[in-house]
Amino acid sequence: MNYNILSVKNIKKSFGGVNALKGVDLQIKKGEIHCLAGENGCGKSTLIKVISGFYTHDDGDIEIDGQNYPTITPSEAIKAGIQVIYQDFSIFPNLTVLENLALNQVISQKKKLVNKKEFRDIAEKAVRKINFEVDLDARVETLKVADKQLIAISRALLDDAKLVIMDEPTTALTKKEINNLFKIIENLKKNGVTILFVSHKLDEVFEISDSITILKNGENVISCPVSEMNEKKFAYYMTGREFAETNVSANTQMSDVIMEVSHLSASGFEDVSFKLRAGEILGISGQLGSGRTELALSLFGMLKPTSGEVKVDGKTVQINSVKKAQKLGIALVPEDRLTEGLFMPQSIKRNITVTRLNDFSNKLGFLKDQQIDSESLKWIKEIHITTENDELPASTLSGGNQQKVVVSRWLSNSPRIMILNGPTVGVDIGAKYDIHALLRNLAISGMAIIIVSNDASEVISTCNRVLVMHAGRIISELSGSDLSEKSLIEAFI
Amino acid sequence: MNHFSIKKITKQTEFYVFLIIVALSLLIQFRSGQFFTNNNIVDLMRSMVVPSMYAICAFLAFVSTGPDVSFPLIAALSSYATIVISLNIGYKGPVIWLYVLAGVFGLLMGAFNGFILVKYKFPALIVTLGTSAIFSGVLFGVLKARRMELPSTMLEFGKSSILTVKNADSGLGSQLPSTILILVGLYIVTYLVLNYTIVGRGVYAIGGDEVSAERAGFNVKMIRFGVFCANGVVASIAGMTYSSMTQFALPNEFSGAEMTVIAAIILGGTRITGGVGTLKGTLLGTFLIVMVANSLILLGIPVYWQRVFTGLIIIVGTAISVRKSSGSVKKSLKAEVTSK
Repeated sequence: MNYNILSVKNIKKSFGGVNALKGVDLQIKKGEIHCLAGENGCGKSTLIKVISGFYTHDDGDIEIDGQNYPTITPSEAIKAGIQVIYQDFSIFPNLTVLENLALNQVISQKKKLVNKKEFRDIAEKAVRKINFEVDLDARVETLKVADKQLIAISRALLDDAKLVIMDEPTTALTKKEINNLFKIIENLKKNGVTILFVSHKLDEVFEISDSITILKNGENVISCPVSEMNEKKFAYYMTGREFAETNVSANTQMSDVIMEVSHLSASGFEDVSFKLRAGEILGISGQLGSGRTELALSLFGMLKPTSGEVKVDGKTVQINSVKKAQKLGIALVPEDRLTEGLFMPQSIKRNITVTRLNDFSNKLGFLKDQQIDSESLKWIKEIHITTENDELPASTLSGGNQQKVVVSRWLSNSPRIMILNGPTVGVDIGAKYDIHALLRNLAISGMAIIIVSNDASEVISTCNRVLVMHAGRIISELSGSDLSEKSLIEAFI
Repeated sequence: MNHFSIKKITKQTEFYVFLIIVALSLLIQFRSGQFFTNNNIVDLMRSMVVPSMYAICAFLAFVSTGPDVSFPLIAALSSYATIVISLNIGYKGPVIWLYVLAGVFGLLMGAFNGFILVKYKFPALIVTLGTSAIFSGVLFGVLKARRMELPSTMLEFGKSSILTVKNADSGLGSQLPSTILILVGLYIVTYLVLNYTIVGRGVYAIGGDEVSAERAGFNVKMIRFGVFCANGVVASIAGMTYSSMTQFALPNEFSGAEMTVIAAIILGGTRITGGVGTLKGTLLGTFLIVMVANSLILLGIPVYWQRVFTGLIIIVGTAISVRKSSGSVKKSLKAEVTSK
């Protein structure tokens, strides 16, 4: 099993004037699990589309299972055994599982009529390949994301795939679902299927892949077996930057208690108590449904508490509106930046300054453009938001930079307590480090920070201590040497 | 797997529309004793014929692409042109050929819609608003359409019936027109195509996720073009039927139907965002609207209040249907954040 199932050399592809791929190589051994990594915009999606025939490359060689393809079309790629599972899974949410599984094959056989029994046979064959139990007659939109993905995988396997390409398969999955997916991938490997998956998540790369290829700016950086890679090298190869060792316990200069929550209850959580000091980074972790988001919302005035009290600076307060929360110096960076954080079509500048329009307008209500401009540029510089022009809409930014915009908008308000819900979800590794470094600096300068997150590595590297929530209650507190990935996972169970 | 579980049925919008219809009919029967009479039922069925045909056009368009508001004008122009031609040549043959001629006109107009939509990918609402205006211009500007007599073959067809009933108590009689057979035929064909052919599943697929449909191998352009051509033909059939049943060519009476028909299909569970909807829901929704328009008089509710009532049902009904689909839109946006 030592030959290459896929060997692409010197692939070049440009769009208009943009060089997406500048001569990229990729060798994948038969039966291995190969990871393709790189920051947003490095060319990994383009490379996959070239391999699967969706794009025609400008130059370079493609060899699949020993056969050379000067050009390749999508149907030739499928015939050659290449199946791609895109991030959106390419499914029909409005059709049943049955139809989603069977349609591709039936269409490729050029059939004209719908034979319900034939559909069912094909569908059952597909789900049996990965032991996937699902209601075949359910409409796909009613299923959870993990199941949709399994449908996409089962469908891909119908065509006797030799190489299955998965584009960022774990982004929308819970830890348990990721484990299930990895089991399936291991099984596929045992059955001789080769897997190429695109990811930028460190832990996944080390957990499951055999080899890794890293791309940057349309060029190869390195290809090697995973055993030769480590975290520091990975981060360096991905971004070109060296990241200093993180040492959270260095900031022990926490001062007074700034917020005290006592027996707070609301819809989604109950009897929550904790103290928050200025200069502290407190983590709140818990599975979906643990109440962590609801807790964050109620501390920001978006969810009315049913009992208990909150004290800020020793005085009892009723945080019953966002405006009140802001007055108390509390800021919340929400969980879902696309729907709760940013105004996507509006300019980056406007997104940054929107919470302080009162400060930036004169008595008649007219906006003072100069002040807005300078405030926007100040934050872009300070937080390293990568953009050529702050008049561009926020939708043009990468996920990491979008998150930075939301963070800077709230920092512009000079909060004393900052709550961040899932601060680095869907954010690439470079921006992730930037945001974490920023938070650490803010804490050192006296801000109290609460990070609500399920990302174990994030929570361990940034927080002084972590409260674990389950079914609406705090079930444990971990800090110092107790705080490790293992103890966090154990606390969840 | 038991497909007919109670839980599944109650989850469907169609079930609730059915309940409302039953409740309303019982109410009207209770207050007037006139609802479940043979002549009222036949009247209702007669009133259903043309709106239900329109509903097919609206339905196919919504499921695959988006709103089509041009079908009333296609109906008007294709039928008027056919009528004028048949009068000019003194046509005395069977009515079916007139339907075929109207169908050709309808097909051309539908193809015009389809061509623009497929080539330029403008939103369906905007395109069909535009073509609707063009067809109107041709009808009233070029053809100078006005109220016209019909050729005798259409008059006879419009008067022909397959069933006559007489209400023993009130002495009122009613006839079930032969045109209802055309309606039944259209629905059977549409049902078979949508559910038993790959192309039919394609109509739903492109409404569900156009990119996935392309990747799956559907010919998205042809399917969309085909839908709008079919709409044109069905609209022309509706136009001819309407003229025959009203016994005159009344070009001014056509426009305005699109709004109530679209409301009816949304009431019946067709999703505004596309991809979801059933023929039975479409029929139920249309029936509810027609029932409200026709039978409220039996409750003694004056005509202007009927319009209020219809409007309320439309607002409430469509709001429920929209809320159901917006839930899934927000969920898919959330999934996008994590994948950026």
